[in-house]
Amino acid sequence: MIRYLARRLVSLALTLLIASVIIFLALEVVPGDPASVMLGVNAQPETVQALREELGLNVSKPMRYFNWVSGMLVGDFGTSYTYRTPISEMIADRMVISFPLALYALLLSTLIAFPAGIIAATKRGSLSDLSIMGMTQLGVAIPNFWFAMILVIIFAINLQWFSAGGFPGWEAGAFAGIKALTLPAIALALPQASILARVMRSSLLDTLGEDFIRTARAKGLSARQALWRHALRNAMIPVLTIIGLQFSFLLAGAIIIENIFFLPGLGRLIFQAITQRDLIVVESVVMLLVFAVVAVTFLVDIAYAVVDPRLRHRLQ
Amino acid sequence: MSLLTVKDLQVSIGGKSILQDIDLTVSRGRVLGIVGESGSGKSMTAYAIMRLLPDGSELSGEILFNDTDLAAASEEAMCQVRGRSIGMVFQEPMTALNPLHTIGDQIAETVRIHSKVGRAEALRITLDTLRRVELPPEEFPPSRYPHELSGGQRQRVVIAMAIALRPQLLIADEPTTALDVTTQAQLLSLLKRLVDTDQMALILISHDLAVIANTADDIAVMRNGVVVESGSTENIFNHMQHPYTVSLLKASGHVPEKLAAGVLADEPLLVVKDLVRDYRLPRKRFFDAVNYFRAVDNVSFTIKRGENVGLVGESGCGKSTLTRAILGLEETQGGTITLDGERIVAKSEMSLACRRKMQVVFQDPYGSFNPRHSVGRSVAEPLHALEDRPDRLAQQKAVQEVLERVGLNAADSKKYIHEFSGGQRQRIAIARALIIRPSLIILDEAVSALDVSIRAQILDLLVELAASDDIAYLFISHDLSVVRSFTQRLLVMKDGRIVEEGQTDVVFSRPQHPYTQSLIDAVPVVPTVFAQRE
Repeated sequence: MIRYLARRLVSLALTLLIASVIIFLALEVVPGDPASVMLGVNAQPETVQALREELGLNVSKPMRYFNWVSGMLVGDFGTSYTYRTPISEMIADRMVISFPLALYALLLSTLIAFPAGIIAATKRGSLSDLSIMGMTQLGVAIPNFWFAMILVIIFAINLQWFSAGGFPGWEAGAFAGIKALTLPAIALALPQASILARVMRSSLLDTLGEDFIRTARAKGLSARQALWRHALRNAMIPVLTIIGLQFSFLLAGAIIIENIFFLPGLGRLIFQAITQRDLIVVESVVMLLVFAVVAVTFLVDIAYAVVDPRLRHRLQ
Repeated sequence: MSLLTVKDLQVSIGGKSILQDIDLTVSRGRVLGIVGESGSGKSMTAYAIMRLLPDGSELSGEILFNDTDLAAASEEAMCQVRGRSIGMVFQEPMTALNPLHTIGDQIAETVRIHSKVGRAEALRITLDTLRRVELPPEEFPPSRYPHELSGGQRQRVVIAMAIALRPQLLIADEPTTALDVTTQAQLLSLLKRLVDTDQMALILISHDLAVIANTADDIAVMRNGVVVESGSTENIFNHMQHPYTVSLLKASGHVPEKLAAGVLADEPLLVVKDLVRDYRLPRKRFFDAVNYFRAVDNVSFTIKRGENVGLVGESGCGKSTLTRAILGLEETQGGTITLDGERIVAKSEMSLACRRKMQVVFQDPYGSFNPRHSVGRSVAEPLHALEDRPDRLAQQKAVQEVLERVGLNAADSKKYIHEFSGGQRQRIAIARALIIRPSLIILDEAVSALDVSIRAQILDLLVELAASDDIAYLFISHDLSVVRSFTQRLLVMKDGRIVEEGQTDVVFSRPQHPYTQSLIDAVPVVPTVFAQRE
């Protein structure tokens, strides 16, 4: 198990290294140099030169790569050209919103999907199965920005339970923060929950058809006991994979929802950085997201090994 | 006084009648054998007694167990009966256990859901039960997971789960069908011992008349959802009434007419010489020396043109690896394989001309076809590998011809594989092998999944084709009785080596190697006192 973890960690580090090289080179591929791209075609040569120095572009490429990577390792991502503030601070400011939001949405999605998937699978073909499957179909089909607006109209404008957007900051208290994130989290969770419920249902149906469920029933377990004791854990493997993918998606994929609710999250940061050609910010945030994806995959790998003794065995 | 009496049992699923008027009785300390071919309803009868029928089934009649009618019992009451009073063992030991729980937890579960015993007491019963199924806890601690055990050991765990609470009745549905003959013999004697020591009643379900004849006190013969004949084992075999029982017995001992030995041309077709196949084992530590597992160890043998050679051995002995090597699908580390004078080498380096000389037919007639291709397309597939690929019309003609040769209709080429029965599917697989007129067909457990009557037909067909087309067979099987009646020469394989080789009759009557002897001893045979009648 420890060797397995060590191996996974090494592969994690290698993935990050390769990703950093690709991201760095992608910036190099940009025609001309980053400084002139950032300033546009009409910029004065002196301005470009000044920016080059500021960005550290006047040293050799390997040196620049080394500076960038070693900076990131100690938490120094450089300085944003547009905002003139350290990028690490900007990211930290955004993370305190994006990370809880992703977690919140994932929690909601799991809380909806698990019972829905379990009910649909155990009552296969029944009215509840049909209606749950119908709703998940809708959940996948409805664009989440539209759903977000409907939520705003109902819960913010008509009922006035929530504010229509913005974030008071965690200084205003945990409750206020969570309240502000609730509608966006619901909007984000809906399609994810739909997908997850469908995966849960089909995975559970497969497992319920397995021979060992029949064995469990022959031992005297009721259908419900067989489900909880034998089927669920076996059905978790595909579900874990999807949850892992969803978390990384939610972390960065909330651009539209963040815009609707005026949340200063990571998604908006990238969006703004791209429109303002603030390439250093783009570079750093993309690297951070790669790290998030790789780290989540690592966690999912560990979860597999915890769930499945056959995998643990193969690792020894 | 009988323990279980089934009266007038009827089961239908979705309006379709599955079981009709089933009457059975079994008493403590006795074994009732239910024998029948696939689709006869023998497993359904077991599920009906356990009340574990699939959703949408309807059941009527009486299932009197200790004078309670299980047919009328509630689901809650049945949960009390299952596992405590009636235990059940299934066919597939590889999948019958939950892969994520230890064997100890799974055995203890039976104990803990039926009685309010503590963890320590449950563990004590678990260890005791492991001993009863002859898995000493010193060697097989309850902390093991199912994947760490062999098929036979897993089946013992399944039995342990079923007998942990010493039920009055055990139902075993084809408990040994998926296992090697020697393992089968051990498990059957274990079951018999449990019946004797615990005065348990056993319902043993099998397709194998010989297994039933050797184990059961009473027999019920089933066909198409009806019990066609029942009585004591002796009575059944000595005064067989029903024509179906007679035909079943005949088919299970069916001997296809062998080719006269003199017809054989004395020309070697396949020559395997000093063949070695090593698998690299994973290293424990990075700097450890690389270790190998020798799956095929210096194997040499020859198959002559038109000869019919059997290859037997238990699972894991290297049969499959050897087969794959002969087919050129496996890299080898030493020795040579020559087919009709040409060297066989792994993968794509082999010439098409050489490859077309051999074909293979596998065990699973459904799994070896692409379900989305028509039969015609599947059968014609080997033609596409030829250098001189015939045109469409010629292909069609060849497919129709070959389908007719294996006893199907030319029109069947338009159909899909799911429209055929198991026996027909195997005929199609044979047609696919025949279409490019090979000199050697490898039959890898090709008749193992078939019912005895269908098996007899397929064996006849194979012998007929061999005679007319001069085809040699390498017949790989775990079923020694079939090998005995079908092959001319026999190779016995153990731990990657051929330990015995000779004329089939000679090997069977005077086995030289102790391993061959133990294999032959383990084969269940219909006792001759009974068989004489036939």
